[in-house]
Amino acid sequence: MKRLLLIPFTFVMMNWAAVAGLYHAVRGTREIWKSNEMTGTL
Amino acid sequence: MPEVVFWTSLIFVSYVYLGYPLILALWKRIAARPIHKTDFQPKVTLIVAAYNEKANIRRKIQNCMSLDYPRSHLEILVSLDGPTDGTDVLMFKLASQGIHLLYSPNHKGKAAAINSAAEKASGEILVFVDARQTIDRGAIRELVANFADPTIGAASGELVLVDRQSNKEASDGVGLYWRYEKFIRSCESAIHSVIGVTGAIYAIRKELFVPLSEGTILDDVAIPMAVVLAGRRVIFDSSARVFDQVAPRADAEYKRKVRTLSGNFQLLVLMPTLLLPWANPVFFQFYSHKILRLFVPYALVLLYVSNLFLLRNPYVTFLALQTVWYGCALLGYFACNESTGSLFKPKEGRI
Repeated sequence: MKRLLLIPFTFVMMNWAAVAGLYHAVRGTREIWKSNEMTGTL
Repeated sequence: MPEVVFWTSLIFVSYVYLGYPLILALWKRIAARPIHKTDFQPKVTLIVAAYNEKANIRRKIQNCMSLDYPRSHLEILVSLDGPTDGTDVLMFKLASQGIHLLYSPNHKGKAAAINSAAEKASGEILVFVDARQTIDRGAIRELVANFADPTIGAASGELVLVDRQSNKEASDGVGLYWRYEKFIRSCESAIHSVIGVTGAIYAIRKELFVPLSEGTILDDVAIPMAVVLAGRRVIFDSSARVFDQVAPRADAEYKRKVRTLSGNFQLLVLMPTLLLPWANPVFFQFYSHKILRLFVPYALVLLYVSNLFLLRNPYVTFLALQTVWYGCALLGYFACNESTGSLFKPKEGRI
């Protein structure tokens, strides 16, 4: 059941991340632009 | 008016998530380009750009030393970007094992660490890997074999997300999304080039490496897109695999996505040429895969709001389906975040 619920949740999370990403890009949030984590992207 | 908004939004969202993959699948069937992959063993530099990776770096070095690639043709280069957790102390000890070490006392960001490593590298092929994931023993050999084809400028490996509990390939929300994404990438690769590679493992001909702008977030999109703009292909090879575990908490995955999507906006500022159809050979794919997705959340809002003004059949069915969908999303949120309420409010500096 949880696995099924994770599908719409992931969909909404990905899309909300696009809104938050725009917010940080427009604000030029330093931590985002300086890329202080060495994490890869999916 | 609500009907126009409703149908426009529905068609837009359907195109991005269903129409585009369908077009790719048909396109691949009709006009797939071959990749002439043969056994090919040029000198390779394996680059690990690392910041605070004390927990992972020893395992990563052992992993790199056990790869199935002639040691005489494999240079391992670790580029440390001003770590503060003792990664540098650990690496100075490990450096005697034949690892080349580049050390910056100041934290300048991943782009700077990659640039300095690429400048020092002696290999014809640069392979970039992250510190956390485990590289499959034969992955470098598989990845590099693609460069026997002179049209290939860069190659991406496959990141396999493993479920922490079952130790099998993840098939829940993020795992499913990642499989869907890999399907799109495999189609794009067969047609011409992927739009972005897997940050966990990708390779590029050194001669095609263009230094990254300071603060570049998505090296794994900026580097391959520069290769495409230079007229070469960027392909996806699912036989070159690395393994990682799905982020244990959804907020970790969320932060990663915010970074990625913020990086997409940054990329448009850093590489505006990508928006020009006459300059970008994969313009259609770039728009469909990267740009249009940025507008989907707004289309989803319009879809729901316009539906509220259309309370008759068949629209009322759509409204019910949408409501159930978002209700399930909310339940999913509670199911995997029992102890946190901070998912959609990331604190500044933590992303």
